[in-house]
Amino acid sequence: MHRRAFLLSSAGAALSALAPATGVLAADEPADFHIAGILAFSGAYGIIGKDMRQGVELAIADRGGKVLGKPIRVSWEDDETKPQPAVQKATRLLAGGAQMMFGAVGSASTLALQGLADQRKIPLLVTISADDKITRPNGSRYTFRTSNTLGMEIRMCLEFAKVKGLKKIYGVTADYQATRDGWELFASEAKKAGIEIVGNDYAPLGNRDYSVIVDKMAKSDADGIAVMVTGNDAVTFLKQSGQVGLNKTKTQFGPVLQDETLAAAVGPAAVGVYSGVRYHFTVDNPANKKFVEAYRAKYNEWPSSFAGEAYDGISWWLDIVESTKSWDREAWVDAFAKSTRENSLEGKKVMRACDHQAAQVGLWGVVTEGQAPLPPLTMKITDVFDASKLFDVCS
Amino acid sequence: MSTIVIGLSLSFLLFLLAAGLTLIFGMLGVINFAHGALYMLGAYVCYQIVHWTGSFWIGLAFAPLVVAALGAAMEVITLRPVYNRDHIYQLLLTFGFILVIEESVRLIWGLDYKQVPTPALFSQPIALFGSQIPSYRLFIIGFGALVSVLLFLLLDRSRLGMVIRAASSDSEMAQTLGVDVSKVRTAVFALGSGLAALGGVVAAPLVPIELGMGFSVIIDCFVVVIIGGLGNIKGAIFAALLLGMARAAGFTYAPEWVELITFVLLIATLMTRPAGLFSRKGRAA
Amino acid sequence: MSMFRLDQVLMSTAIAAMIVFAAVSKSEESLNLISLILIWGLFAIGFDLIFGMAGMLSFGHAAMFGAGGYALALLAPQLGFVPSLLVAAVAGAVLAFLLSVFALRVSGLFFSLLTLALAQLVYILASTKLRAFTGGLDGIPGVLRPALFGVDFFNNRNYFYFLVVVFVIGVAIMAVLRVSPFGSALKAVQANDVRAEQIGYHVQRLRQCAFMISGAYAGVSGALLASLMFYVSPQMLHWSTSGDVLIMTLLGGKGTLLGPVLGVAVFEVLKEELSQFTEHWYGILGIVFILCTIFLPKGIAGLFAVFGRIGKGASK
Repeated sequence: MHRRAFLLSSAGAALSALAPATGVLAADEPADFHIAGILAFSGAYGIIGKDMRQGVELAIADRGGKVLGKPIRVSWEDDETKPQPAVQKATRLLAGGAQMMFGAVGSASTLALQGLADQRKIPLLVTISADDKITRPNGSRYTFRTSNTLGMEIRMCLEFAKVKGLKKIYGVTADYQATRDGWELFASEAKKAGIEIVGNDYAPLGNRDYSVIVDKMAKSDADGIAVMVTGNDAVTFLKQSGQVGLNKTKTQFGPVLQDETLAAAVGPAAVGVYSGVRYHFTVDNPANKKFVEAYRAKYNEWPSSFAGEAYDGISWWLDIVESTKSWDREAWVDAFAKSTRENSLEGKKVMRACDHQAAQVGLWGVVTEGQAPLPPLTMKITDVFDASKLFDVCS
Repeated sequence: MSTIVIGLSLSFLLFLLAAGLTLIFGMLGVINFAHGALYMLGAYVCYQIVHWTGSFWIGLAFAPLVVAALGAAMEVITLRPVYNRDHIYQLLLTFGFILVIEESVRLIWGLDYKQVPTPALFSQPIALFGSQIPSYRLFIIGFGALVSVLLFLLLDRSRLGMVIRAASSDSEMAQTLGVDVSKVRTAVFALGSGLAALGGVVAAPLVPIELGMGFSVIIDCFVVVIIGGLGNIKGAIFAALLLGMARAAGFTYAPEWVELITFVLLIATLMTRPAGLFSRKGRAA
Repeated sequence: MSMFRLDQVLMSTAIAAMIVFAAVSKSEESLNLISLILIWGLFAIGFDLIFGMAGMLSFGHAAMFGAGGYALALLAPQLGFVPSLLVAAVAGAVLAFLLSVFALRVSGLFFSLLTLALAQLVYILASTKLRAFTGGLDGIPGVLRPALFGVDFFNNRNYFYFLVVVFVIGVAIMAVLRVSPFGSALKAVQANDVRAEQIGYHVQRLRQCAFMISGAYAGVSGALLASLMFYVSPQMLHWSTSGDVLIMTLLGGKGTLLGPVLGVAVFEVLKEELSQFTEHWYGILGIVFILCTIFLPKGIAGLFAVFGRIGKGASK
């Protein structure tokens, strides 16, 4: 946005504020509903940012581009998956009068934005970052998350292991606090359920060679391989375990191990791998069917989990904002904290007031070969875990 | 025992990655920070060739040639004007290359992952020493050994190698003796770029092909090059072996310490034999 | 030695204009941008002491920068902001000293590579083994602002003025250092260290001293950045941060007092403005670097120096 244009419009706004109010609303209301969209548009997570943007833009189009009677305007900025640019750009957009923030992708950037949200009292809507710290009791008043937490996804792994009858598990974990915590949780719960942990190796984040670890796994008597890595590391691991045919004798699974994008990056070795699924276009309910049709019509591709979660979260949020009929952000926060969405794309989601995390079902699936028009490698939902199994009770 | 075989494959992959970097530094005195970006470009061009022809082997043959040509162009247009300046400004130049190459890759291929499948010839594992070793890793060992021998023969035993070494150790003298030093420099930069791309092609079936891949590999390359000695091909082979084996052992017994071990090795080398563990010289200063 | 060269006056004027613009303009965007420029400018000025004046290329300054940030984040709640800021400076100097003990045993290229390795070691430790202190890869949110004289420094405009004060002090100290005997000694060391040793300078001690001062500047600027963003993360310790300050200094012109600040300004402004106009700002920035290398051999300060050739012979 041109600085000159901004200065002129802010001068104009200042002048108009001096004019006598013609109505209570006219003097208080901004000219539009400005959303600061801070996402990763470059680098390894760039594809996620692009999908999320598409989801949000469809959601806005679906409501006629307006909320509270004013047009919605989104400023999209690239945080390069680093916290400093995220905060820098968000600060600039907030200074320009954004009503809320949407983002980020990487958990580190999201955590950095939380500080800003609390300091400026601007709501932050998170629809992808999975780190448990983002929503916790006595956490940020202004942050809300409508998507999965890592804790949920770990619990799904546990439920899956029980359901599948896995008896011995070998794990590989990214050396990163969130995944380490996730492994600790999984291992302790698994032991309680009578599952034996025969080994676990911590690999550096961004590790490019798992061959030694894969070899150890192949030689062990484990029947299940818990892969607590995400993104690029997941692709690397599965490519390399596929080269020794690990999937033939052992079941590989993980909390955020695969989706259509990652499966395409892995290739044929992805078939038969189980993973938590944040959102899927095959979920069978009226709201989702309508969304998927509209998304395919507009973008000519299947909506990824990033697009679906973004669409769902922003639609829910904007509906609540609309329902308060006010521009008071505190009212939005209070209303959203108590809200329930009956017709979310994944069924029912309930916002928990204690930690601002949406309670929801957990989707779990396996990578299979798809017949056209589905992608060549696609997720098939095999289990839907109830929210009560995945979330601690709100205290 | 299987750990040793895996360690060897790690080593030769590391050597293939680092060979181009050490060559360019040794012969041209340029620290080519764009090395990682050229590696990435090699992987993407290979993907494209596989996409068009279905053959990994054609990709292996041609992707490095394409990138070598690009490297030659880069050298002629941008590096040549600045050779006589303070070498430090070359850093800024190579940083600029990285940004331009990454942006170009993004423009041409987009943001999503690309995938190069393991060539059919080497897609099945082989049972060896009680483990299933991917045959592709054995290919890496063989191919890496071949490349190292060829490079060594080229630089140490061939006439072209002699010319290159002469031009790098005393360019003015070589010029007066009739060597076209500018052309030699371009050739070396092209060769180094091609080698970087070769590393990218060989790594393509093993790692995700995405925009950040160059960034993640550059530190490893530097470690091998420094431990081996800048410009020292034999040194690079030994350093790659050392690092590969150390990593294989690390992953077997203490995976969380692997990164630290790598850096401690590097620091120890720089402090005791900074010219490289395998150089003839001792302390540099 | 002439103190009033026209190019220095022009550069100071440019920087002063930038500060005044931020102070006067209603735009909080400019305020934030120029705050960032002041902070990184301070970092770059300190970096140039060893890079431009002493001729040592350090790839490890991110370690001191991040150490300062973490020092402030962890200590400000207990000790208060300004004492923690001083601790950040000391932390930067001490860490620089430790790095120099190892790195100064070798010289030239190997010195640079060793600083890179040592700093990256610090990064790995902070991200993994020391995560109990540093919060690991997720960093530490909620860094404080100063609490002085009852002024609300959470107001960005007030914090900006605080930054201006610190920046001016930093520039003044560096200006004095550069023209002092210490500065001349460093220039002698860069020109010919063997000769300098023979004349009687303690070359290693001089280098170490310069390195520590440079580290203190890095520590302070890291702390100020953490406070600006209310957040500190291991990203501040990563080698790409060292690379950034090097690029900015080169772009601006090494060996000059204010050149690095101009380099920072151009870099940050380009990044901000380009990214708003085009998705391809990354590639365009790369082209800018390439063109600057080829056409501006002395960086941006070189452009100003064209004006400064009044009555003087060839520049250094």
